[in-house]
Amino acid sequence: MIKDMADDEAIQATNDDASECKRYAVQLGYWCDPFISLFVKQTARKAPEINRGYYARVKGIELFVENFLKLSGGKGQIINLGAGFDTLYWRLRETGNSPANFVELDFPSITAKKCYHIKKHKQLIDMLNTEDGEIRFSTTDLHAANYHLVGTDLRHIAELNNKLAQAEVNFNSPTMFLAECVLVYVDASATSSLLKWLAGKFPNSLFVSYEQVNMKDKFGQVMLSNLRSRGCLLAGVEDCESLETQQRRFTINNWEGTSAWTMVDVYDSLPVMDRSRIEHIEMLDERELLTQLLQHYCIAVAWNGQTFKNLSIAQG
Amino acid sequence: MAESSDLDRQIEQLKKCEIIKEAEVKALCAKAREILIEESNVQRVDSPVTVCGDIHGQFYDLKELFKVGGDVPETNYLFMGDFVDRGFYSVETFLLLLALKVAFLLDIYECMNFNFSLYNFIVYVLSQVRYPDRITLIRGNHESRQITQVYGFYDECLRKYGSITVWRYCTEIFDYLSLSAIIDGKIFCVHGGLSPSIQTLDQIRTIDRKQEFKIFDFLSIKVLHTSRLMMQVPHDGPMCDLLWSDPEDTQGWGVSPRGAGYLFGSDVVAQFNSANDIDMICRAHQLVMEGYKWHFNETVLTVWSAPNYCYRQCGNVAAILELNEHLQRDFTIFEAAPQESRGIPSKKPQADYFL
Repeated sequence: MIKDMADDEAIQATNDDASECKRYAVQLGYWCDPFISLFVKQTARKAPEINRGYYARVKGIELFVENFLKLSGGKGQIINLGAGFDTLYWRLRETGNSPANFVELDFPSITAKKCYHIKKHKQLIDMLNTEDGEIRFSTTDLHAANYHLVGTDLRHIAELNNKLAQAEVNFNSPTMFLAECVLVYVDASATSSLLKWLAGKFPNSLFVSYEQVNMKDKFGQVMLSNLRSRGCLLAGVEDCESLETQQRRFTINNWEGTSAWTMVDVYDSLPVMDRSRIEHIEMLDERELLTQLLQHYCIAVAWNGQTFKNLSIAQG
Repeated sequence: MAESSDLDRQIEQLKKCEIIKEAEVKALCAKAREILIEESNVQRVDSPVTVCGDIHGQFYDLKELFKVGGDVPETNYLFMGDFVDRGFYSVETFLLLLALKVAFLLDIYECMNFNFSLYNFIVYVLSQVRYPDRITLIRGNHESRQITQVYGFYDECLRKYGSITVWRYCTEIFDYLSLSAIIDGKIFCVHGGLSPSIQTLDQIRTIDRKQEFKIFDFLSIKVLHTSRLMMQVPHDGPMCDLLWSDPEDTQGWGVSPRGAGYLFGSDVVAQFNSANDIDMICRAHQLVMEGYKWHFNETVLTVWSAPNYCYRQCGNVAAILELNEHLQRDFTIFEAAPQESRGIPSKKPQADYFL
């Protein structure tokens, strides 16, 4: 969700859309998230293929989060780039499985809204409280003991460096970066600088990115033009041509290793019982449409150091 | 001749993608019901015929289809269901197809100047003795009260008429639509596919289609009303399977990821085709980017007739299958109607993605 400012309302609006879709799917029972309804209002009906796609996205990301928390043994930090109204921090707190530090970054216009929602809901605030920690708010930033919400622009590395320091990030701790539909909105050279800088700063880290892939074919081109007509430009779409280009984006920017899977692979790797449950929530009128959508999104991961080497979607 | 000229005017209106009055929908549906009630669950159709797949309310693309396939009644059409949902003009699309069907039979009736009490009898005779060139509509999985509440037709009726009365009239007609068709005794046409509880065409003929779906839909509506969001309904049974199943590169039967119907393999098809002495199964139901697709060594065919499907999201082409009097096949591929020939829908089109 992060790109150049000013003309980016449409891109910032993608946060609303994603949050609404997640809320709708949660309401139907696809997965459990008691917090999303505190950030976004009830919305119009979403099609079953969208609900299933979000389910695969949320579960796919969760899988890597779980693995990361296991491997980092309680010392890890999670840094969500372009976090929007993501509720992962609260979901992890609820299961008693929080990392040592949790940092969320996004456009200041979005973090301001998120601050507002957090302040408004006691349920959210209470979970930020720790015995010794005070909570500091500004309009766009929020700092609690192990949670930091920070407004910034990912293209400005010096500012990012400062913001991460304010968020008490330890560059040597095991670190997971999350980027859900973020890099695709950033032009390739800015992404390059960002990834290179992160690779240099965090020797023991894992990057998990979810976004478009296979964008050169007809479906991808139609998606591009549909999103463009909504004012939503995919400035980083060059790297979304294939799984290979997705991976190359990391390797040429000094990440030691990478893997990538289309969301078809991710969906198919979900536990059979879970899949069967959600496939009975709503009848799917069009399998091919879901397949097409899933084929055009992927999870790409990259790592530095040995701890997170070769993490994969294979379960169990 | 009043009825006929009224209907002609309504057809002209619908052809311009304008809705007709609620009272006119009611009358049209009443006439359609009388025709459809006489149709068999396996409606017999003679070649030559042009077979079409899903339309999904893409009215301007349906006009494109008639442009490449020929007008009614010069061309004999078989539409394999899914007239409504997903597109912006489900009302106009379904009513136009229904009106074309009714008009043709009404013309015959009026020309022959029989009195109205003989009407059903004539329709019956026509459908049993001779199968005149006309338009055959069979039921798709979207022709259901439950599904249309999820995928748009319900909302569209509400938006265009300000009440759900027209939706009620149309969904009642859905219950009367035939479940399948057989062309020259050799090509079995159905929206989805086969069912593990059906081995012969005669078994399909004995289904009470009006009763079964009423129960099916009644349950779903009750569930919808008690819990507006959850739609856990008993969706099974042979009728449901015919409308929901898909062929899959496998043997035997499999669980469908759709949550309804089954996946059926090549051995199932081989057995069904041989038991019923048919050459192939023609079905729709699945988006095919190239418009049509063969399965299992040309024993099953998928035809898809909604170009650039789903709010202009998919970028696919559409196809129709033209069968001549020797059942020789000819596919015609067509693309979405150009933007300038389309009206601007009152609801802004938006394709959904993950953002």
